[in-house]
Amino acid sequence: MRCGSGIEARQVNELFINIDPIQAGGRLTADAMKSVIAYGDGYSVCDNCRKPNRLDYISKPPIAEFHRDLAAWLNMDSVRTVPGARRGFQAVANTYVKKGDPVLLTSLSHYTEFLAIEETRGIAREIPQDSGHTITADAAAAKIEEVKREFGRVPVLAFIDHVDYQYGNMHDVKAIAKVAHNYDIPVLYNGAYTVGILPVDGKDLGVDFVVGSGHKSMAAPAPSGVLAATKERSAEVFRTTAIEGDVTKRKFGIKEPEMMGCTLMGATLVGMMASFPRVKERVKHFARELENNDIVLKALLSVSGTKILSEYPRNHTLTRIDTIASFDKVAESHKKRGFYFSGALEEKGIVGIIPGATKVWKFNTYGITTKQAVYLAGAFTDIARENGLPLVP
Amino acid sequence: MTFQALYTLTDLRVLLRETAPRHMLDENQSMEARRLLENLERQVASLKQEILK
Repeated sequence: MRCGSGIEARQVNELFINIDPIQAGGRLTADAMKSVIAYGDGYSVCDNCRKPNRLDYISKPPIAEFHRDLAAWLNMDSVRTVPGARRGFQAVANTYVKKGDPVLLTSLSHYTEFLAIEETRGIAREIPQDSGHTITADAAAAKIEEVKREFGRVPVLAFIDHVDYQYGNMHDVKAIAKVAHNYDIPVLYNGAYTVGILPVDGKDLGVDFVVGSGHKSMAAPAPSGVLAATKERSAEVFRTTAIEGDVTKRKFGIKEPEMMGCTLMGATLVGMMASFPRVKERVKHFARELENNDIVLKALLSVSGTKILSEYPRNHTLTRIDTIASFDKVAESHKKRGFYFSGALEEKGIVGIIPGATKVWKFNTYGITTKQAVYLAGAFTDIARENGLPLVP
Repeated sequence: MTFQALYTLTDLRVLLRETAPRHMLDENQSMEARRLLENLERQVASLKQEILK
């Protein structure tokens, strides 16, 4: 079935259990799907835009109220919606980083944080990870000292991921932010894998900015995200325009240059708003998500030779796993090579693992039901049995 | 009524997601599916009346 010329209707989540590491938290709620149907037209949220003519002031649909609620929920002073977390990184980097400035991030940071720095011609300096693939406050302090020696000054900004995309490990942002603030370095909390997944309290973490991803973790359409700031930093990153045309003498009211005026419109914004009540509720039940994840992990670990490369017990449902000594052994002699594994999973109604991967791979169980977790666990052990891999009790 | 029918289908879509891949519905889910499908039939009947009158 097609929904447009050459565009197949996508039924991945209706037909399969989808454990794609980046897709789990962005699956839409029913309300978001309904809002997308109603607000798909381009400028649909602008029907009732009145002076001062800015997106976050619109009261029908209740966009202004949503912005207030979102800031309160994150315990920050103000928030803007943005087209993806990366646009939040970009806005903050543009505000604070100038050519040649050192910027702190980590050896597990997402590539879009690097690109945000590159665009400003800043210089990236990474806090190294420890042997358990975590970023510590001590390592952050050591790196800041190293940067001081190299540049004669401290980094102008720090990007710290609470949960990284490589291992899904949780890093002590609160302690790292404390260290950074001792050097007067503003801290951007990258919550792409946390905002909308588990409770996030910006003031408690002591960070200057909270960035979240709508399409990764807030059950919203892509591209969507949030950028929240403290009162002090809001005045800087959300400063209003001062430019004036020399011929027309035009000025542009309270538009914000870093936001390029209005930001997230139409189906993306309304989708995020529609999911918000469910998202606020679901973060309270993250423990249940970890329990479901553990059902699957225990099954995988029962396949002799399988190792978890992420921290364990898990603090997040995104997990990196090593099956070189288990499922990859089968691939060595299987006629389909590594594709036997993803093929067998697909036959059992499971997708989301990179086709052909049998050595090191990632998956994310967020959002599946307990019944689906039990099914998924059984599928992994069944594939092991069907291929003669030993199970440990 | 157009939106109502589309939204009922959306609720059915979510039910399919929650029960993938085998779609073995438990008693509550079966009752919910039945209720949604009956609503849909009524909504489509109303649409027929309104549009084809």
